[in-house]
Amino acid sequence: MNTRSLSFRLVAWYAGLLTIVFVALGGLTLILLRHYLESALLDTQVRRARQIADTLMAAVARTGEAAVPGEIEDLYSPEANDRFIRIARADGTVIYVSGKPRDGSFEPAAVPAAPASRDPILVRKENLRTGSLLIGAVTYPAGDSSRYRVEVGVSTERTDQTVQQVLLLLAIALPIAVCVAVSGGFVLVRRALKPVDALSAKAAQITQLNPSERLPVSRTGDELERLSVALNQMITRLEEAIQSSKRFVADASHELRTPLTVLRGELEELAQDAQLREHTRESLGSMLEEVDRLSEVVESLLALSKLDAGEANAEWVRFDLAELVASTAGQISLLAEDKAIAVVCEAPQPVPVEGDRARMKQVVVNLLDNAIKYTPRGGRVLLRITRDGAQAVLEVVDNGVGIPAEALPHMFKRFFRVDNSRSRDQGGAGLGLSIVKSICAAHGAQVDVTSIPGEGSCFRVRQPLARGTSADVIADS
Amino acid sequence: MRILIVEDEKKLCELIERALKAERYAVDAAPDGSAGWGLAESYDYDLIILDLMLPGLSGTELLRRIRRRNHQVPILILTAKDATEEKVQNFEAGADDYLTKPFAFAELLIRVKALLRRGSVSRASVLRVGDLEVDRLSQHVKRAGKRIELTPKEYALLEYLAANPGRVFSRTMIIEHVWDQSFEGLTNIVDVYVRHLRGKIDDPFPTKLIRTVRGVGYGLGENPDA
Repeated sequence: MNTRSLSFRLVAWYAGLLTIVFVALGGLTLILLRHYLESALLDTQVRRARQIADTLMAAVARTGEAAVPGEIEDLYSPEANDRFIRIARADGTVIYVSGKPRDGSFEPAAVPAAPASRDPILVRKENLRTGSLLIGAVTYPAGDSSRYRVEVGVSTERTDQTVQQVLLLLAIALPIAVCVAVSGGFVLVRRALKPVDALSAKAAQITQLNPSERLPVSRTGDELERLSVALNQMITRLEEAIQSSKRFVADASHELRTPLTVLRGELEELAQDAQLREHTRESLGSMLEEVDRLSEVVESLLALSKLDAGEANAEWVRFDLAELVASTAGQISLLAEDKAIAVVCEAPQPVPVEGDRARMKQVVVNLLDNAIKYTPRGGRVLLRITRDGAQAVLEVVDNGVGIPAEALPHMFKRFFRVDNSRSRDQGGAGLGLSIVKSICAAHGAQVDVTSIPGEGSCFRVRQPLARGTSADVIADS
Repeated sequence: MRILIVEDEKKLCELIERALKAERYAVDAAPDGSAGWGLAESYDYDLIILDLMLPGLSGTELLRRIRRRNHQVPILILTAKDATEEKVQNFEAGADDYLTKPFAFAELLIRVKALLRRGSVSRASVLRVGDLEVDRLSQHVKRAGKRIELTPKEYALLEYLAANPGRVFSRTMIIEHVWDQSFEGLTNIVDVYVRHLRGKIDDPFPTKLIRTVRGVGYGLGENPDA
């Protein structure tokens, strides 16, 4: 699962917050429950203490203190009821204390004496080694100046058990509740975000080639509808921009090509006149060469604009890049032989790709021509076509002059020249590599260059293999 | 032979007119679509050269009208656009050939000739320029009776030049015919091949057949007009 997806993050936050809220609520419930149970118990202890005091202490005057233990045992049998009862004089002298309870939950002798207080009713919780004891104490004036204190207590074991049961219940119920809430939330979030997947899938399909397509708009009146409407408006603006760029290309084509045709025609007509003087003939030739160069620049720029505008490639076919490179190298070989440059083509296996064959051929021609141009006599140019995973890799390696490191990042920029004086002699307007890059971009391919000055350069084109080729790679290797 | 040119670019129109008149054709020129339609309706032309971007009546519309009236006349389209789609559309609308600006005039003249004799003249199987013989069937080349061995590309280049003796071809035209459009801009390859070709068919002989016109290109044999 993609942990960065919006639905995952929403649900994770939701689950986290829900857990925190549930735990806090559960904790609060437990604390309140314990408090409520204990105060209820304390109230009972106080009531009982008062009862004992009322019925017994009133009789002390008649029967004497010695009769008290017997009376209490008879009336209340505290050991059997797991109760704690202690009666003491005001000075702290204990006249009765109950025995060890049947369940052994506390040791009556170990219960500390009640703290000195003038309050007639006092409640407290004693934490003993064996457990806690809730004690209610009543101070009772016995006719004369002496006073007695009656303490009645009970172990918290029962309340603790109750609280633990509730805790157990919560511990089971809470994760289930969180799970149910989270899965419900997940379903809701998925349903709410489903249109987003549809939007992004459609948006990924819209390129310069089909700018008239639009995203689906869900008529739900929610944020997603607003988003898709806004995106569609943006695509409309982009489409207009592409249209106007295409129109510009068409207009510029006409405006530049027509005068060039006239210029070339007039000059050609003159140049072929046999009566010309040598000097005039040379001048006309020179002008024609400039017209050629200008035409070439115009054609290259228009080709680049068209590639930028994403003009549909009508001839999209599947072909073998290795075969294309080998045959192109064959056609261009004389150019290399002329400079005694050895062109070696390494293509161990077919490398099927998809694209406009003529344009990819231009990539090969431009790269190869460049390599030959900048490699001195007797040099070597290596063409290597391999597969790397799902990609076709074409490398054009030469052992020529190389490219200075500071020029490398600019190699594919329009009109860029490494060295003005030298490359102008070699012809070309500095657009060849830009065209290579634009063609590659139109094919989803990347082109890059590495070079060591004085040792040579390597231009590398990475293009996705034709669909359904990956299986062959495994078979081949 | 009577040819109609419909081209709004005045200078270009004059140039084409002059070039065609030099080839002894009768030429009428119209500066816009409606004038072109007027002329095309009134006379029987052997060939119509039509620019696509015209004021008034568009070139494409004019092409349709002419085709509706006359199914026979060959039509050569001139255009500054080179979108393949449009090219297909115009061929479907009845264009016979298509030339993209900027074009070389030599190319225009060759296309005009080809359109005018379409179907009537069979291609000669042996081309002769001076004492050079190019046999198109066996692809053998002889000069002064001596057999000369050429590589396939050298042969293709020589055959292209020999098919129109005296005519000078630009490097771009040669690239387009002998190689393909991917090699455009690689005009130095033509120079290298011409040098090799010269080494084989000219250097051993006293008269040189391959002619260089600086800035224009290469031709085989003397200019017939000169």
